[in-house]
Amino acid sequence: MALARNKMDAPPSSDASAPTVLQSRRSWSWYRFSEGITPYLLIAPLLILIAIFIYWPLIYSFYLSFFDWNFVRPDKTFVGWDNFTRLPNDPRFMRALHGTWIYFVALVPIQVFLPLGLAILLWPIRASRAQSAYRIMLFSPTVIAYSVAAVMWLWIFNPLQGILNKLLTGFGVERINWLSDRDTAIWAIIIVATWKTLGFHLLLYMAALEAVPNDYVEAASLDGASNWQIMRSIRFPLITPTFFFVLVTTVISVNDDVFGAINVLTNGGPFESTTNIIYYLYQQGFQYFQIGAASAVAVIVFLATALLTWLQFRFVERHVHYG
Amino acid sequence: MVKQTRRSFVGSAAGAVAGAAAATTLGSAVAGAAPAAGASAAISAQDNRQKITFYHIYGTPPGGTPAASPAPMIQVIDAFNAQSTTTFIDSQTPSTAYAEVLQKAQADIAAGNGPDLVITPWSNLNYADEGLGVVDLNTVGGDDVAAVLDNIRPEAKDIVTRDDRILGLPWGLSTPIFYYNADVFKQAGVDPTTALKTWDDFKAAAPKLKDALGGNPVIAFTYNKDWPAQTLVQCNGGRIVNDDGSFGFTSDEAKAAMQMVADLDKDGLYDRSTSQEMRPNFVAGSTAVMISSVASLKGLRDDCKFTLATAPWPTFGDKPRIASTGGSFIGVYARDESHYPGIWEFFTFCTSEEGYKIWNQTGYINISVHDFPKLDGQEPAYTQFEAGLIPETNWPGARGLEMQTTWATFVERMWANDISVDEGVTEAESELSALMG
Repeated sequence: MALARNKMDAPPSSDASAPTVLQSRRSWSWYRFSEGITPYLLIAPLLILIAIFIYWPLIYSFYLSFFDWNFVRPDKTFVGWDNFTRLPNDPRFMRALHGTWIYFVALVPIQVFLPLGLAILLWPIRASRAQSAYRIMLFSPTVIAYSVAAVMWLWIFNPLQGILNKLLTGFGVERINWLSDRDTAIWAIIIVATWKTLGFHLLLYMAALEAVPNDYVEAASLDGASNWQIMRSIRFPLITPTFFFVLVTTVISVNDDVFGAINVLTNGGPFESTTNIIYYLYQQGFQYFQIGAASAVAVIVFLATALLTWLQFRFVERHVHYG
Repeated sequence: MVKQTRRSFVGSAAGAVAGAAAATTLGSAVAGAAPAAGASAAISAQDNRQKITFYHIYGTPPGGTPAASPAPMIQVIDAFNAQSTTTFIDSQTPSTAYAEVLQKAQADIAAGNGPDLVITPWSNLNYADEGLGVVDLNTVGGDDVAAVLDNIRPEAKDIVTRDDRILGLPWGLSTPIFYYNADVFKQAGVDPTTALKTWDDFKAAAPKLKDALGGNPVIAFTYNKDWPAQTLVQCNGGRIVNDDGSFGFTSDEAKAAMQMVADLDKDGLYDRSTSQEMRPNFVAGSTAVMISSVASLKGLRDDCKFTLATAPWPTFGDKPRIASTGGSFIGVYARDESHYPGIWEFFTFCTSEEGYKIWNQTGYINISVHDFPKLDGQEPAYTQFEAGLIPETNWPGARGLEMQTTWATFVERMWANDISVDEGVTEAESELSALMG
């Protein structure tokens, strides 16, 4: 700005070098402009995609939650808050909430602590080939599609021919209808979801343990700290950012994670005992084509997720050591 | 430049995941139903014939293993495509489940890229009409409607007729029948003709069958339970939904029929497995009787290694046997009227003797006026058909699809003694009334 003002204030010059100076000032301005805008141009494609595929659907879901619409009818009927107010009176929604709660209470500790425990157990054998074998075994379910895995699990859980019942009845246990008994079906889903997600969290914890500076560990060893003390007082505090990340993302996605298992193994049954709020949303939107109702549930899921995430940042994050 | 710390990274990453998880729940499901065209577009580009897209359940879904020989529906389409010079039917099987095919059709229609034709279950006729805007065949076929539909028997035409509108081409008419493992009956010393005559006869014979199966349950009701429940209730003189639209499942006759299955369950005779487990169990010889669609006849004949036999439903004493329909019609959902002549050309072929003869291999009841020999094992279906079938329940109102699922869940609960029949019927009535509004 100062340069420009000086230039305008300056008297006309008869100096032969004036165009060159002007050109160089112009180049400088262009350089500064392009330097300023380039990062935004570089991230613009991603931002546009995020805006289109994440934020626009989010906003549009809010909008649709006030309408009665089935995707196809040209007219949407405005219904105000009806899609929200009818939910507490809908027994299927309440059953879905109950399932959501069970999945949450059961799976969050399992998905957060079980891989942590396994990572700690695998840590002493990190240099051996056995650990690679364990990693592959535990991670491979993560990359197998639910539709493929379902075939295997359906045969495992089959009440009359499944390997699990054959094994149990061999020990004198009575046959169990794993997927069609309300007491066992939800646990079958939890087992499958755990099997599917365990490996990813395990890898995160293993990577975090690898990243702990060896200096601290060596210093503690020299001071006579035991392996358990080192793990408790040095390694674990230093991997708390990863722990926190796993916790937050698990809380956010735990009910999404079981959707695939529900969809391919039980369809929410038996007797809606394995359904959850995500499956309820899917049914409303894509089986019954109640787009307004589905959008209202999506809004509730979003707000609940945002609240839970905020609570974790408010109360759990203070215990995280960012180094 | 803002400094990125580990703290801010964790925060922003978690925030992004939170936003994405909630915002894309609906979106991801839509993406899952995205069309998988490609091959058909290439084919239509090779010639100048008009492409008519047809979604149905009879082919190989994406990722599936093609059958050794093409399904009869594919054979009909191939035969048509081989002879038509103006129209090419682009056959697509998004799924082998009716509901999923309809879901994809609806999503594609919403996206302005809908199919011209969709195989639509009879039970979704109301929804096809009120929700999806299925096109009246009088509009599609014009003056030729009668000439084509005269090839279809009147009983089948009645099912798709609303006032003067014809809401689709009657195509696959099925009915639930009994399939049984004749070897197990023989091993148990049970005569199937006697044991499957009435429900009392069946209950008397079932323990012997259970012993022959090594203690396994004897009888499986496949598909969503609302479908076999309809025939069961009708055979005892009840209805699920009365002709005036009121609930019939609250009647004493309906409750008694439901209680009969609940009693089978108490005796360990009823297979509680999930629907997707029942067929493999039966095929493997783990259960003795399976109630399924007559359209399953060909597939079961191919898969079962034991002596497969069929029977009509047992009766309740002397009461008449009144089964329900199943299956589907071909609905026209084309929004482009220039496609109507091509669609009509295809329908003309389907209902011709040549086209229907190919389709008739499936096991579905022959609803054409053409005379074809019955398939071995189809007799029970014709027995029930000739006695008069009642159309599959079309639940009324904008939330009819949800009502159907809700009722199916209550049937499942009552049969498996998760809830008493009296409580189940009362709760079902309450929930369904709320959905009907």
